[in-house]
Amino acid sequence: MTRRVYITPGRPQQGAGAHSETQPVRMRAVAAIAGVAVAFSLLAGQLVRLAILGQGEVSASMSQPIAIAFARPDIVDRNGQLLASDLVMPSLFADPALVVDKDELAEKLGRVLPGLNQAELRKSLADRDKRFVWIRRGMSTRQAEQIHSLGLPGIEFRSELRRAYPSGTLAGHALGFVDVDNKGIAGLERYLDEMGRIEPVSAPSLTKRPPVQLSIDVGVQHAVEEELTAAMATYKARAAVGLVMDVTTGEIIAATSLPSIDPVSPSLTSATINRLTDGTYELGSVFKMFTVAMALDSGAMTLETPVDVRQALRIGRFTITDTHPVNRILSLAEVFRRSSNVGAGKVAMELGAERQKAFFERVGLTGPLKTEAGGVAAVQLPERWGDVDTVTRSYGHGIAVSPLQFAVAAASLVNGGKRVTPTFLRRAVAPEAPDERVISEETSRQFNALMRGNVTERDGTGRRADVPGLEVGGKTGTAELPGKGGYRKKSVISSFFAAFPMSAPKYVTLVSLFEPQPVAESGNEITAGRNAAPVTGKILSRIAPQLDIMPRTAMQ
Amino acid sequence: MRILMISAAAMMLISAFCLYAINYDTRQFAERVQAQERKLDKAREDIAILKADRAFAGRPEVIGPAARALGLVPAGEAQFVRGSDPDSVAQLPEAGSAEAGATQQ
Repeated sequence: MTRRVYITPGRPQQGAGAHSETQPVRMRAVAAIAGVAVAFSLLAGQLVRLAILGQGEVSASMSQPIAIAFARPDIVDRNGQLLASDLVMPSLFADPALVVDKDELAEKLGRVLPGLNQAELRKSLADRDKRFVWIRRGMSTRQAEQIHSLGLPGIEFRSELRRAYPSGTLAGHALGFVDVDNKGIAGLERYLDEMGRIEPVSAPSLTKRPPVQLSIDVGVQHAVEEELTAAMATYKARAAVGLVMDVTTGEIIAATSLPSIDPVSPSLTSATINRLTDGTYELGSVFKMFTVAMALDSGAMTLETPVDVRQALRIGRFTITDTHPVNRILSLAEVFRRSSNVGAGKVAMELGAERQKAFFERVGLTGPLKTEAGGVAAVQLPERWGDVDTVTRSYGHGIAVSPLQFAVAAASLVNGGKRVTPTFLRRAVAPEAPDERVISEETSRQFNALMRGNVTERDGTGRRADVPGLEVGGKTGTAELPGKGGYRKKSVISSFFAAFPMSAPKYVTLVSLFEPQPVAESGNEITAGRNAAPVTGKILSRIAPQLDIMPRTAMQ
Repeated sequence: MRILMISAAAMMLISAFCLYAINYDTRQFAERVQAQERKLDKAREDIAILKADRAFAGRPEVIGPAARALGLVPAGEAQFVRGSDPDSVAQLPEAGSAEAGATQQ
């Protein structure tokens, strides 16, 4: 082993001894310590710079697995009843190259899976170059077990998230539907996507997010749908819409458009469109509610103000007449109860087009409307607003609105005069809005008395909607549908807008029957007083107890 | 110095052993957690199916006819008694009678 001797220049060699041997070690140690100190100083300096001075850019990269589906939260009604839920279900696929006998496979699977298109499956399996063919996406565990026990080669299962709707077609239009990847396409399902309430997942797993609670009440929704289905059969109507809404909070308790759609396999045709929100219609005499409310709120008229309806109303080349003309002067209240077109037209003329236009805007008839279930069809209102238009719009012609928009606007007349914002989500209190008053409280009170009178008075058109103890009030509307060269006399939309209990309205309802036929049950008439009004009465008698509205006369 | 070196080496070995043991335990623990999570996921899936089954079985169109068969009807005026006249007890239709069913309609 060679021993190194270090010689320090300028230093005497004598007496170096042990000191000269430890000197290089110490120097190396000092150098190492100095190096480490410098490195730590640099690190500390950088930390100080980043932390205190905030200099430098921080970038981070994240890896996210590729999403194969979307996990959605449950949808429940206002009482927690399940309306839509994700389920992990087995899906069946085949590898055509491994299938031994495609005919046998199609035949045996056809016995377990109802509705399986065997011919199409055979065709798909014939191409043996394909290595993957879906047979059925989403099935029950029992079906999967049955298929598994068949022991067929070339088929396999894969778990997938599938959306289930235990209540079937109930509230189908409002709920909407999802696509094959569980992504919302329409209705409230789409709203969940838009609000970021869904989770992209790379494996079929349920979301842990809390359920979305709707304002809809399953029991009320069912009662409305059942009565409307029965009404369509009784009056041979082509379609029907129904709505129940809380006038204070704007919560939609039931909303339906029949024929309904099945969210699992929606069939979107012209027959199944959502007439409540996606169609606009001239709704006829129910619009007289706005004309009379406008007259009362303006202060220019009272319920006793006389209106001369003895002569037909002539505007330019048009002549406005009443279905049941009377040869005497009516009060404003009688114009409402008898649903006089001439009377409504004269009132509107008296108040003027500008006032009518402003009132329609104020109650929200002409602006856009949107709910969580999607946009509502825009009102169809020609720019021209002459005398003829003022008169026809006073009784619901020359303006086409969606039934939902109409009902929302009309609700603000009976709830004390406050604007209503409709919602499909459960809401404890009404949203606060600074300038939400539509009409005065006094006007609303007078108007409610008028609505009640239309159901209780002998000359009222809504008598058949009365339910003992519920204090029902309402207005009828029978609107002829437009056709080639004018209106079709025998094709109408019969509507009844109701509120209850009229002493302090809590809920409003709207029932519209599309093209009802004259049948014995309606006295061979097609007017709303003979079909939509009694249907409303039946609905109210069923839903009032569910909504905690008990008959009042008996308790007083 | 030597003792110090030996002690340090021993400490290093002990530390390495402890680290290995902790790592092993952690992995085992993670596996157990994963297994529990898988069980939870399965339980959640089963619960979702049961909830859907319950909602399907409890649809109003199923409950309605059963309730009507029992003579249950929506609350009506006749089911209330005036406070001023407690003897005015209304005659309700008997359970299961045709009248009880008709009232629902």
